[in-house]
Amino acid sequence: MALTPQFVEELRGIVGAEALVLTVEGRMVYECDMHTFYKGAPDAVVLPARVEQVQEVVRVCRRAKVPIVPRGSGTGLIGGAMAAEGGVMVGLNRMNAILEIDLPNRCATVQPGLINLWLTHAVREQGWFFAPDPSSQMVSSIGGNVSTNAGGPHCLKYGITTNHVLGLEMVTGRGDLVRLGGKTVDRPGYDLTGVAVGSEGTFGLVTAVTVRLTHAPESVKTVLAAFRTLVEASETVSAIIAAGMTPAALEMLDEAIIRAINAGTGAGYPEGAAAVLLIELDGPDAEVEAQGARAAEMCRQRGALSVSVARDEAERALLWKGRKEAAGAVGRLTAAYLLQDAVVPRSKLPQIMREMVAIGERYGLPIANVFHAGDGNLHPMICYDDRVPAELERAKEANEELLRACIALGGSVTGEHGIGYDKAKNLPLQYADADLNVMYRVRGVFDPQRLMNPRKLLPTHPACGEGFRPQRPMLPAGTWV
Amino acid sequence: MSVTTRALGDALAALVGAGADETPATRAVAAIDGRQPQWVVRPRTLDEAARVVALAHDEGLAVAPRGSGCAVALGAPPERVDLVLDLAGLDAIVEYTPEDLTVTVQAGVTAGALAARLAAHRQTLPLDPPGWARRTLGGIAATAASGPLRLRYGTMRDLLLGVRFVQADGVVTWGGAKVVKSVTGYDIPKLMVGSLGTLAVLGELTLRLHPLPEAEATCLVPLAAVEAAQDLAAAIVDSTLQPNRLELLDPGALAACGLPAAAAALVVAFGSAEPAVRAQQAAVAARAARAQGRVDSLGPAFWRTYDRVLAGAGATVLRASVPATRVAATLAEARAALGGVASLSATACAPLGALRLAIGEGDPARLAPAIERLRAFVAADDGSVVVERGPAALRTAIDPWGPVPAPALDLMRALKQELDPRRTLNPGRFVGGI
Repeated sequence: MALTPQFVEELRGIVGAEALVLTVEGRMVYECDMHTFYKGAPDAVVLPARVEQVQEVVRVCRRAKVPIVPRGSGTGLIGGAMAAEGGVMVGLNRMNAILEIDLPNRCATVQPGLINLWLTHAVREQGWFFAPDPSSQMVSSIGGNVSTNAGGPHCLKYGITTNHVLGLEMVTGRGDLVRLGGKTVDRPGYDLTGVAVGSEGTFGLVTAVTVRLTHAPESVKTVLAAFRTLVEASETVSAIIAAGMTPAALEMLDEAIIRAINAGTGAGYPEGAAAVLLIELDGPDAEVEAQGARAAEMCRQRGALSVSVARDEAERALLWKGRKEAAGAVGRLTAAYLLQDAVVPRSKLPQIMREMVAIGERYGLPIANVFHAGDGNLHPMICYDDRVPAELERAKEANEELLRACIALGGSVTGEHGIGYDKAKNLPLQYADADLNVMYRVRGVFDPQRLMNPRKLLPTHPACGEGFRPQRPMLPAGTWV
Repeated sequence: MSVTTRALGDALAALVGAGADETPATRAVAAIDGRQPQWVVRPRTLDEAARVVALAHDEGLAVAPRGSGCAVALGAPPERVDLVLDLAGLDAIVEYTPEDLTVTVQAGVTAGALAARLAAHRQTLPLDPPGWARRTLGGIAATAASGPLRLRYGTMRDLLLGVRFVQADGVVTWGGAKVVKSVTGYDIPKLMVGSLGTLAVLGELTLRLHPLPEAEATCLVPLAAVEAAQDLAAAIVDSTLQPNRLELLDPGALAACGLPAAAAALVVAFGSAEPAVRAQQAAVAARAARAQGRVDSLGPAFWRTYDRVLAGAGATVLRASVPATRVAATLAEARAALGGVASLSATACAPLGALRLAIGEGDPARLAPAIERLRAFVAADDGSVVVERGPAALRTAIDPWGPVPAPALDLMRALKQELDPRRTLNPGRFVGGI
């Protein structure tokens, strides 16, 4: 869409010329996030430094009916931070201050552009950390984490972003600056904070976040076990959970990834290993000691090829090395891949792993897997050759089939990456028309003009449109009227 | 009885058979703040419940969903109650997969019935609001009720994965997922928790479970002052210790629990592997010694006593939420404001700043000014004071919820307008007259 010169002048007046990007080259930088399939350059990018500027930008966009797209670090994996309908992108990176650290009340208030890990750096010496740990935490912003309700390896024990957000300040699509939640618990009224976390910028622009801080555990024990088969490893995961342990993290790597990692710098996984489990336990010394020994024993009982237990921080880092290198190692397997983020009930892991192998064979595409096994959150990477046009189409079909298989087992479309532009079309797999319609209406409460991050999260579906009326229950023919 | 009323009764009978009760005795028992419903309807299935809500919606009847009735004195007296929808009949455990640590239950299942089922697999739904065993899970969700275990496990907000609900016009709807990790679509379950049945009738809940700890031990730390108790509570949680319950008791609460008198005390419980429980208890004893306190062991029966005391105590119960650092100051202010008018016994989940004040008095003329004074005090720290229980006259004299700031309240009203424009569900009971 073309912005009028007058509108552009208004933007310049609000944020200043140095915080307004209008050139083609400048805007191209913002045309996609980490999901590079979906490109949509905004017509203008503003980089506000203050809440008042954010509010003013929303005000003029509302008046001119121009779409607004929020953006943090652009590390999202779902095409959430691209301008599907053009409009104004609001980059919140400059608003990256820590507004308050309140350790006696175990919380902090930060601006949305603050990098996730910087908050932990600010409180680590005093023994605290910010628990949500997406793999991108070195670069992703807390505002972006809130937007997607990001998870990470350690959310098995600590919960995802929503479990750590106490309050939000946001400029809604209605143009109001509103404070939701806050430092105290049990606040009267609807839990609007809860529904705003994970709303992917479709409710408004978050301008401050109050988060819970977590005390670092007394000790951490990491166990790495290699298995001959994926099924043995999956069964071990189930057994550990069933035994009443809640590891901080329980990660799995499959054969394709193991080969790729071994071929590279090498974490030195044993030959013949088809699955590697990384089990991390944290908490009081005595608890970790007891559970670590038990977890290692369970791995051995289930036929593990090798079991290593890290004795110190250096050894722990070594065991995690392979896991952290996994995404990069995939580069040795393939030039391109599609990344899936579906979830299955954890007892269905062995079954879905078998189905995944079958799907890969059927489509003739390798599928590599490194994922959060403890909560059933898969991250299959469907490898394809991007120089062969037909392969991408095959990869997409395989991806779709895999997603359906997960849902059929009682799973979910996305565990931690979000919906964005990428998976909006998949929502009807999991939700009936009436369910989608409620979401559509809730969105309208925050953003009646539907200018906030259009075409994200909700599908273009009849249930997500004006005038849709879901099927109501049948009543007996009325004699009472 | 008007002709219309008779015909509606017939229609309800056609929907739920004998589940539609309009006998005077039943109606009297189901009265909410003196307002007697015309019908008490007890559906046997979610589908029946949906039809009843659809009919009520079309006929302009006000519906009050009801679980065990434990929290019926929460909120403002309703504007209208035509039909009480008694969900106690929806009491099936729909799906329990121990390996997944998830369970799906109908809203009328009590927390006690579920606990009995889960215990066989050494699992638990760690929600223990006062009187939890006989409360329904739908009710606990609708009221966001919580208890001491929230310190470690959070509240219903953190444990509700998915929810099936009946919208105000009778449409059965699902939100969330049945797996422990999902960010698919908006987090609709969060909207339902604590909404007091004003947005929808909760029908079915999918919940995250936790393993029961191998061992649990509880100890009492009597202290010379509330400030010392607040400080010790902070010292315990601001360390590597991981208590699963940590409650602060004032003299009134100590007496009610049959514990030795003290200016204040902490009750601390650890649940973990046996050696870890012992080590952490020893660490508490060491810290207590530094705070001139001693430690007494309490048996597991203590938490049953505590639950009974919390569920029973007080004509009026206030829930105050403040920053953790303001617990002692808030308690002192409460004593100054309320102590003159009535007996007060207080408990708190101190590390979360969640206080519970049980007051042996319900006279609005005396209590209302004291509550307003306490509200003014906590407002400085963005805190809140909610009347969790109390006579209808008190909840008429003052807003039981207290103020909600305008821009957020506007959104809440817009949400109610969107999801229940005819105000079929619990009209007038929630914040801001919603």
